[in-house]
Amino acid sequence: MVVEDLRKTYGKDILAVDGISFRVHKGEIFGFLGPNGAGKSTTIKILTTLLAKSSGKATIDGLDIDADQAQVRRIIGYCSQDVGVDDDLTARENLMLQCSFHHIPKDEAEKRVEGLLQKVRLTEAAERRLKTFSGGMRKRLDLASSLVSDPKVLFLDEPTTGLDPQSRQDIWEYVKQLNKQGMTIFLTTQYMEEADRLADRLCIVDQGRIVAEGTPNELKARVGADKITLWFKAGDLAVCEKAAKALSTLEGVDEVGKCVEGLTTQEGLAIMTKNGSAVVTQVVRALDDADIAVEQLKLSVPTLDEAFLKLTGKTLNVIERKEAIRTASFGRRRRSS
Amino acid sequence: MRMEWASEVAAIFRRWNTKLLRQPIFLFFSLIQPLVWFLLFTQAFSAIGNIPAFKLLTGTSSYITFFTAAVIIQTIASSALQAGIGLVNDIDSGFMDKMRVAPISKSSILFGKLFSDAISTIIQVLIILLIGLALGVSIASGILGALMIFVIAAAFGIAWSGISLFVALTTKSSQTTLSVGLLTTFPLLFLSASVMPLELLPGWVQQVAKVNPFTYIAQAFQFLIINGFVWDKIEYAFISIIIIGAISLGASLLVFRKKVY
Repeated sequence: MVVEDLRKTYGKDILAVDGISFRVHKGEIFGFLGPNGAGKSTTIKILTTLLAKSSGKATIDGLDIDADQAQVRRIIGYCSQDVGVDDDLTARENLMLQCSFHHIPKDEAEKRVEGLLQKVRLTEAAERRLKTFSGGMRKRLDLASSLVSDPKVLFLDEPTTGLDPQSRQDIWEYVKQLNKQGMTIFLTTQYMEEADRLADRLCIVDQGRIVAEGTPNELKARVGADKITLWFKAGDLAVCEKAAKALSTLEGVDEVGKCVEGLTTQEGLAIMTKNGSAVVTQVVRALDDADIAVEQLKLSVPTLDEAFLKLTGKTLNVIERKEAIRTASFGRRRRSS
Repeated sequence: MRMEWASEVAAIFRRWNTKLLRQPIFLFFSLIQPLVWFLLFTQAFSAIGNIPAFKLLTGTSSYITFFTAAVIIQTIASSALQAGIGLVNDIDSGFMDKMRVAPISKSSILFGKLFSDAISTIIQVLIILLIGLALGVSIASGILGALMIFVIAAAFGIAWSGISLFVALTTKSSQTTLSVGLLTTFPLLFLSASVMPLELLPGWVQQVAKVNPFTYIAQAFQFLIINGFVWDKIEYAFISIIIIGAISLGASLLVFRKKVY
């Protein structure tokens, strides 16, 4: 999928998508990460032929989204943000209906529907009307219904927004499976964790523009250093200073924080490095050699949250913002000296 | 291509029929108002039948027999509203996007719905005719005439639905779709030959009634019920249906194809 200088304006002044370009390679999961109103849904609607673009060019598998619209629709699947299923119909009827939209012969359709129901674990609920379904079940069915035509490219618009954690895990699992079977997946999300877990590559979008593009690790690396934080026994300023001195000469350590009475007890002593996981062992060894007692140690690597904050100057306003912290297993070390 | 279109329409037609069967209550909702009219209006105005000119012009002195046509038209009009509302619901639920992204034609989305609505119109008209029979209305043209009434009702229903489809697709609001439907039905009914023979209407109303499609549909029904098969009245009915249908459905399809969501 190649997208070049895509633009979409509403009316005169509202610029929803402001000249974005990117490439999605065959077989990868490509993420579009951004806050509400960043232009994610607009982009996905243009690419799925639901919305006319104002200018620019986009091709999917060599097919132009405008000129070859009909063929494009045959090779894509789309899961919108609002679940596009019919509540008056049963799960099976919904899938059979989607099959008829794709002109799949009845026998073949029945086989596919059975397989899909199994895949999204809805076989037992197949004859139930969707009115009785939970949000997670409806989303799973929605996903299945966008798969009836076995699309080459699957578009997912915020697939897990509003879902409970278990349903979210399920959807992630299905997405990964589909990708393993060779399906190219384009997904938008406002969840860092989702982009981090699923996307091979991703774009960070803000106000209709792409502000950064790369693998999740590349984007995190842009934020810069890893941080090792050490805590000592309360009020033990002398120990802190001793540690700071010992560590400042250590190879790989870029910067060592200052020891301040009171503050160090709370915030800990910060050590900045480019390669946290390698340096952390040396830090422990150096402290051991100097006979310094450490109360607790923490290694934190930059998160996509921080990358986002740095690139856009704002945080994603999402309730769930986990800090990806790897607390070292040798956290509580006490020595007698 | 033609085969594909037929199968698409069939799929969407079946979908709406299933929905209708599971929510049969909606069928009766749109019948309530016409039936109240059927039962009350004809009681209050039954004396109209005694006017010598009425009998002379219509061939019957039973106002309820004459008024049956108006009840059928009212049912068709309120049923036609549902077409647009159904579409707005699909747009709101996201189901519409699912259909639009599938390789099916826009016209099959509309016609699948319209054909299913035609079925519900026929069921409703059948109920009205049965109630009419119970109230002493007889159909002069017999069973074949009743079948002709169904055909005209279904065809007019499809054509008239086009207006609500157009409003629905343009505004995407069920509120607007509903009000446009409700606000047009009654004036059009009273400014036509459905409640009173054309000749008994005041001059200016007659002028309006002559260009009002309800007049021609009503007259076709009235003649089938009171007199028997009068072909030129049926012809006029179909000409109005074709004109309305071509405009309303053509415009809907145009908006549907162009509309940027």
